[in-house]
Amino acid sequence: MASAQAPKKAPTVINPPPSAQDWADLGKLPDWSGVWNPKISDQDAQVKTNPPPWNETAARKIQQMFAEEKAGRPRLIFSNCLPEAHPSWMLVTHNAMEVLFTPGRVTMLGESDGNRIRRIYADGRGHPEVSDPTFHGHSIGHWEGDTLVVDTVDIIPQAPLAISEAAGLPNNGDMHVIERIHLADKDILHDELEIIAPKILTKPWKTTRIFFRQRARKFDIVEGVCATGDLVERVNAEGDHIFVPVEKSEWGHTTAVPAK
Amino acid sequence: MRFFMKSIGVFAVLAVVAAGISQVVAHHSASMFDVLRSEVLKGKLVELRWVNPHVTLTVKGTLKSGEAPAEWLIETTSPGNLTRVGGWQRDAVKPGELVEVVFHPLREPGKRLGLLRQLTTLSNGEVYATNIRDHERADLE
Repeated sequence: MASAQAPKKAPTVINPPPSAQDWADLGKLPDWSGVWNPKISDQDAQVKTNPPPWNETAARKIQQMFAEEKAGRPRLIFSNCLPEAHPSWMLVTHNAMEVLFTPGRVTMLGESDGNRIRRIYADGRGHPEVSDPTFHGHSIGHWEGDTLVVDTVDIIPQAPLAISEAAGLPNNGDMHVIERIHLADKDILHDELEIIAPKILTKPWKTTRIFFRQRARKFDIVEGVCATGDLVERVNAEGDHIFVPVEKSEWGHTTAVPAK
Repeated sequence: MRFFMKSIGVFAVLAVVAAGISQVVAHHSASMFDVLRSEVLKGKLVELRWVNPHVTLTVKGTLKSGEAPAEWLIETTSPGNLTRVGGWQRDAVKPGELVEVVFHPLREPGKRLGLLRQLTTLSNGEVYATNIRDHERADLE
């Protein structure tokens, strides 16, 4: 059947094939290879030394959380094994990460949650015109010398702004995170964050998170699947290897494991 | 987004029903344990559960000699972090091995639950620590 066809528009290629020069240019970037571990003691210290400028409502809720934690009833900030999300992953993780460079992209892979990944587009693109919020938001980055500058928007409103595993609040929308990530020393990586969360903060909050690597250690990142924490490996009557739920308290610790 | 959140909600409810627990959980604070108190448990390892985000050990033993042995459930950090503290691996301690466990007990009295501080295998005196904060240096080997 003959019909008039509109002239075809050339498709927009958002991921063009990298050239040999693009791959070669990666060699000019700073060396961020290896396994990066968070400096947890500094995370702990900043709970007191550098608290976020919570608004009045948020501050009241955070104080309640501190009181509950002190009383031995810590609130669960991260539940259902959903991703800690951005920026909380960078703020409070206790587990390692690695950073991969490919042409036009920086990818951060976390150890502890199977679903923890940050894709930072460093190919000159902007943020999408239509917002489609996700746990880690939409990140675009560019290099200023040896510093990666990352701008992240479109983070789901449920994503917590957490300062510890027992204190944090949903950002409630419109969160914007700007990061300057760079080597502060040979094996020390700094992530300088500026967090704009107008629904819960009175002004932007600045904090630096420290990661270190241990070149001489032969410990790679391992696969960590958070949901297995709620399960135990068993073999059923038919000889199949299965997972069986364990019991947990409302605060998150394991209270009983089914016998074999 | 609305459909997505609804799906998550349904999943969570199903998971709770299936597990028979209050909720499925993830990373959590350890403040339910009394870190100012330590107990020493001696006994046999029943099971080392090598899972994220918190490894657990089940140990059948006693706090005082003469007690009837009972099962204790002791929690600690993640497999990745234990590996980096040093010495740990999935089968570092095997079921049936005699162990000494230093742990912080649950604040709530009467429950045989704790937070692991240090484990020693008594056959060879091998000590397994747990504090990842003791290893926060770039130059460690």
